[in-house]
This record gives sequence, structure tokens and C-alpha cells, in this order.
Amino acid sequence: MPNQAGKAYGLTVLCPLKQVDAEGKSVSIKIKNTLWDLQMPEDKITNEDSEKSVVTVQAPDFFFKHVPNTYLARFYILEDVFYEDYPYELEHLKSKYLVFTSNFYGDLEPYLKGMFENAEKEIKSIWQDCYGFDSKTINANSFADYIKKCQVETTFFFNGSVEPEPKNSPNAKARSLQEQIKSLYLKQEFSRFVFQNAHKKPEELLDAFRKFVQETQPEAEFPRWKAGGNDLKTIVEKG
Amino acid sequence: MDNAKNIIDLHDVQGNIMVNFAGYGCHKSRYFFLHISNAAHGRMFIKNITGLVSTAAFMAEKDEDGLIIPPLVTTNIAFTYNGLKELGIPTLTLQDFPDEFVVGIRNRASILGDDLTSAPEKWDAVYRKDIHLFISIDGANEALIEERYQQIKDIIDDSLKECKEEHLVPADQASGIKILDGCRDDESDNKAYQDASVVYEEVDGQKIPTAKEHFGYTDGISNPFFKGMTPEMGEVLGGGKRVGYGSPKSPASWEPIETGEFILGYKDEANEYPAAPIPKLFSKNGSYLVFNKFHENVGKYHAYLDAASQKYDIEKELLAAKYVGRWRNGAPLTTYPKKADAEDAWKVWSAAQWQVGKLFAAIMELKGKIATEQDPAKKDLLIQEKKKLLAEYFGAAANFKVINQTFTAFNYDDDIPGSKCPVGAHMRRANPRGALEFGNKNAFATPSALDNRRRIIRRGLPYGVPTLDSNDKEHGTIIMTIVSNIKRQFEFVIQQWLNYGNDFKLANDKDPITGNMGEEGGQMVIEGNPALPDDPAKFLLEIPRFVETRGGVYLFLPSITSLNMIGKGIVDPT
Repeated sequence: MPNQAGKAYGLTVLCPLKQVDAEGKSVSIKIKNTLWDLQMPEDKITNEDSEKSVVTVQAPDFFFKHVPNTYLARFYILEDVFYEDYPYELEHLKSKYLVFTSNFYGDLEPYLKGMFENAEKEIKSIWQDCYGFDSKTINANSFADYIKKCQVETTFFFNGSVEPEPKNSPNAKARSLQEQIKSLYLKQEFSRFVFQNAHKKPEELLDAFRKFVQETQPEAEFPRWKAGGNDLKTIVEKG
Repeated sequence: MDNAKNIIDLHDVQGNIMVNFAGYGCHKSRYFFLHISNAAHGRMFIKNITGLVSTAAFMAEKDEDGLIIPPLVTTNIAFTYNGLKELGIPTLTLQDFPDEFVVGIRNRASILGDDLTSAPEKWDAVYRKDIHLFISIDGANEALIEERYQQIKDIIDDSLKECKEEHLVPADQASGIKILDGCRDDESDNKAYQDASVVYEEVDGQKIPTAKEHFGYTDGISNPFFKGMTPEMGEVLGGGKRVGYGSPKSPASWEPIETGEFILGYKDEANEYPAAPIPKLFSKNGSYLVFNKFHENVGKYHAYLDAASQKYDIEKELLAAKYVGRWRNGAPLTTYPKKADAEDAWKVWSAAQWQVGKLFAAIMELKGKIATEQDPAKKDLLIQEKKKLLAEYFGAAANFKVINQTFTAFNYDDDIPGSKCPVGAHMRRANPRGALEFGNKNAFATPSALDNRRRIIRRGLPYGVPTLDSNDKEHGTIIMTIVSNIKRQFEFVIQQWLNYGNDFKLANDKDPITGNMGEEGGQMVIEGNPALPDDPAKFLLEIPRFVETRGGVYLFLPSITSLNMIGKGIVDPT
């Protein structure tokens, strides 16, 4: 079945871009700027006390952390096709495309609606100059329809998470994002535990492990990693 | 593919690559150089000036009457290697720049023949400083240039304030951007900018702008025509590459050159992408610009021309034409070997060109009147008048396009021995148009296979106002050469074709106009016509150095996308 592997979904969308916007400005340059700016840190932490007045900037934060169930998503502009060297013919696309790929847990329609509900402002700013996208009338349902029209079927995609057992089984199921970020958190903390306690005596080690289990709560939902986090020092979410 | 817009994103490429703004009414220019000592301030400046940077998008976006409306004032910006480094471009990206760009033009002096009076230590002081940024302003008049210059200075100041407000620099940070002084003109040797202007000729008491440089030659007639250009941007006949042995006036004989010879990120004449720094987004739609200030020894030129025409018994204007390969009015010698024919051709050419300019100006004036006219009846009359003029204008433009081909669509197939245009003439050296086959058809894959990878785009304007006997004052030409590979195109043409003669079977003869003649002077063969009884070859000796280098910079001319990335500090080669 295309696009799906168990509960993991690989979405690939190519949305044709207008050449210029209503003001005659280049759409591809505008979208690149929009996407870059969405990744830029909003808050700047300043430390004016130190001698050199060091400025610390928060790590970039992408709005997709608010879109539930996303393993991995990315945008890029496909400006033209690559020339594959002589003797191939040089071909050109009829327009540029906004390419959106998302690897998520669950079904397509609820995911797209959830995406719209959680990131309407950003969606409108990114897609506003694509053919067939009307930012004045778009809603969760019509956004899902629009994306489905631009969808390119794919049978080969980077899969964010697949249950490792049983191997090669058609029943292999994806972990939910929550399960996955809990697992990643546990892996990180367990590594830390091993390094910190490797040389302890058995009884001390058992105490430390009990403490570890109590703190990390392997069976509970929290603590776990934050969705969209990208800094190991601040990534833990207590719930 | 005829839709140029789909090949090159005209919104992303800096306009000076695609268009000679001087040909669109920008008759004045100002060039200046900056040094950056604070990266945050530098990046903020780039971020804030990017909106002013001129593209060639106007060429593809015609107005409601189908007219191309050129800008009245433009701004373009380019970077040296040190400038990119100072702005915090990652090492992995910097490492991909070619050696010649990294070391800069002063360290390539021996390759470029910049010795003796052209040696870097003789250059204007500014070109010996650590230049990081280059900005060019082209404008219809001096007031517009000055206004834009002040606007850019304000952006420098405002960017520092913005950096402070955003706590990107300490509150007491001094300006991290300095406009470098050290440009020389007749008033001072320490100016903060280099001005340039078209040369005017007085006709019936009116100052008429020309395309001439100070020796009197009409310049810049034939620039390369490459894939992605619209017909308004150039002429494929003569501007493209030769693909056959048919008449040079036939469209079947020429094809546009591959875009990658001039713009990074596109297929080039070797059927591959030109070497360019990563990430691709940073280099695509960018190019390299070589800025040169070339002094012209106008007095020496005229004195030698007078003396040589007498000594070798050759008519002065013809001798001037033999140096270059074009008559000074621009007519190509190989098509018009006789002066009278060249003058007739020029009259037709210049009248056709003049007509286009005159009609365009009249239409623009009429458009202004229509916009302000309140009376509907009068407005209607004006609209009818405009309609008539528009029809005339499009007819005149099409007519000029055809007539202009008489000045561009030629090659040397009928003149292999050089009896009309000398083999060593400037134009034949700089762009051999297939003459390196020396008449041996099919010697190479295509007639111009040896010159397709040596083509260069030339922009720029003359500076200073010389008298006929003037050598030491400040006058010459600013030439900006645009190529995707400085070494293979610019440096090769200068080293092998202008300052050497072997490829033309001319031993070590140099270009008669631009060659870096030593103290003993240069020499030139003016081939005779063996078919005529009294037309022997002439050997010009002791040709002085007419052109001297007074400055130069190797620059990277990034795309708008790239400027955005530099400004935001997000160039990421990983």
C-alpha cells in the first residue's frame, strides 16, 4: 500500500508556486524567507552583566512541534530538476514547487486537520502564494482536500518509527509519537545512568537503579522528551 | 525553450549580470568599497540593503502597454573572500571558493600582466586596502545617485542602531562598517567613491550621451548572449556561440551560450555544473565580478596614431580601426573594410537607435500626461496618440534589432588571413568567433569550441574627462567583467589572448590597445591583402602602453536568496 507502513504515514506533497505574488515579488524568495523566519528564535536572552555583554540566543524552534503525531517534517522549494550530466537532455519544470514532506503516526485526514487547527497562521503564510490555495477561504476540511490534490504517492519514504518485532512482519506497527519520545528519553537517561553508576557495588547499583526507575517512570507517559525539542539540556518534559 | 523566465529566476539574479543598465538610461555610476569589522553589524546591513538590490525582473514584467520600464536608479552588491569570511560564512563554504578568488586580484598581478605602471603598488589607495564589500549604483542622473548613496549610508547607521536594540552588539559598539576612502580623481586621491559617466558628444549645442570610451571607440556592442536571456537582453547573432559554417547573418549559425558560463548553478559549455561553493542555495544564481579601473593614456594614443599613420602611410581612422577591429563608430572592420561604407552603416544604425530612444521618451511623457489629465475627451485623444506612438515604437525597436545585427552578426571566416580585420586586433583576440580554427573547418567539435569557454560579460562606464593630449589626469574606463570562472575566462583572456599572441600565431605580440607593453613598446602586424598590388603587411613597432591598471577587485556576486542567507546568518553547508 503506498504512503503507509503500519500506522506510519509518509506524506509527500508538491504544490505549484506562482511566479510572483500580488505585489509582483518573487514567490520562491518570499517563501524561503518565511520558512527561515519561522525557524528563527523568537526570544533573545541577553546577559548584559558579563564583561563582554555576551548574547545568548535560544535554539531555533519550529512551529511543527505544535502539530501532533509528527515524527519528522520538512519543507523545501523545488526550483527545477537537476541536470544529470551528458548525454542526458536538460529538462525544466513548468513551475517551481513547494515540497512538503511529513512522516507521522496515524491517518492522513485527521493529521491534516490537526495540522491546520494547530498551525493555521503558519500554514497560511507558507502556502498563500501556491496555485489553488486561497488563504481567505481555507479551513481545516478544504486544507485537507487541497493537500490531497497535491499529494504524490510514495512507496519509499523515511520511516520515523517502526516496531522492531516481529521482523519483516506485515503486522509491524509504528510506535506512536508519545511512545517514541518516551523511548528516546529513556535511552538518553539510561545511558547517563550507565556512565554514572558503572563502578558501583551491586547493592549501591540496585539502589541507584530503583531511583532511576522512580525518576524516569518507564511505564508512565511522563517524563519524556518534548516534541520539537532540539537541545538535550532542556528537552525533558515533566508532564 | 523560449520562456526565459523558467530557465533563470530573474527575481533572484542580480540585474547587472543580465542587463547593461547604462544601455537603459543609467548614464551615471558610482562605485564604493566597504570594510566590515563587526559581523553582526555587517549582517544586519546586508539584511537591510537586500531590498534595494536590483534584479533584472523588470525585463520580463512589461507594463500594460507591453513596454519594459527600466529603473531610474539601481544598486548591486558583491563580496570579496575576506568580506564573506568577516560576515561569518562557514569554513566549509569558504573552502569551496576557487584559489584565485581567495587570494584576490593583487596576488594574481603576474598572471594579469599588472607590472610596471600597472603594478598594484601604483593603484589607487582603496584597491590596496582590505575591501570586503563592493556596491555599485547606476542612475539616470547624478542627483539620483547621490540620493541612493545617502540612503545606503543611512542604512549603515540604522543597522547599527537595530543591532543595539536587539542586543546583538554592546550598547557602546562603534560602527562595524566603514566606507573606504582612497579613490582617486582629478580633485583628490582620497575620495570615498569612484564616479563614472557616459561620454557625451555635443551635437547642435546639445550634449548627447554616447557608448564611447575615451579613445573614441563605441564600446560594449557585442556582449555574450546566453540561455535564459530574452531577445531584449542581447543578440544571439554574434553574441551566442557558433554552431555552423553558414552565414553569420543566419540564425542557424548561432545558439545561445550555456547559462553556466556566466551564472552558477546552471549547465555550462562542458555539460556540467560550474564548480561552486555549497550549499547550492548559497551559490546558485550567483556569479563572479572582476572590478577593474583602467586608466587610458589618451595623449599617447593620439600621438602614436598620428605618428604611425604618417610613418606607415595608412589613413588615421583606418589605423584606429585596425587596432580594434571596429571603426571608432562601432562598425565591424571585417564587414565594412571601407571607411565610407562603415560611415553609411553607422548612419543607418545610429538613426535607428536614436529613433527608438526618441519614441520611448515621447511615450513616457505621454503616459505622464494621461495619468494627470482630468478632461475625459482630452485624455482620450492622448490615449489615441499613445497608441499611435506605441505602434511606431515597436516597429522602430524591431527595425533596430535587425539593423543592429549588421554590427554584431559577423565572423572572420571570409577574412582568415586578417587582411580586413588584423588577426591581432583587440576584438578578434578577446572574442575570436571561431577564428581559432584558422579556416580548417571541423577542426574542432564546433567552430567556436576553443572560445566558448572564454566568453566574458562586460559592464561599466568611462570615468574622467580627458583632452586629446592628456595622459596623467584621471580618465579611463571602469570595466566589470562577469564570469562563472575567473581563472578560465577573465584571467585566461587577459594572460593568453591580450598579453600574448601564441594562440593567434602571433608569437609574443600583445593586444595593441590593452596589452601590457614594456618600456621597449609593443608591436603589431597589420596584414596586407596579397590579392592587391600595393597592400603590403605593415609592422607597427614601439607601441606604447595605452591602458594601465589603476585598481582591481575579485568579487562574488550573490543571488538575492544568497544575500538573504548572508543577512540572516544561516548559510549552512552541512
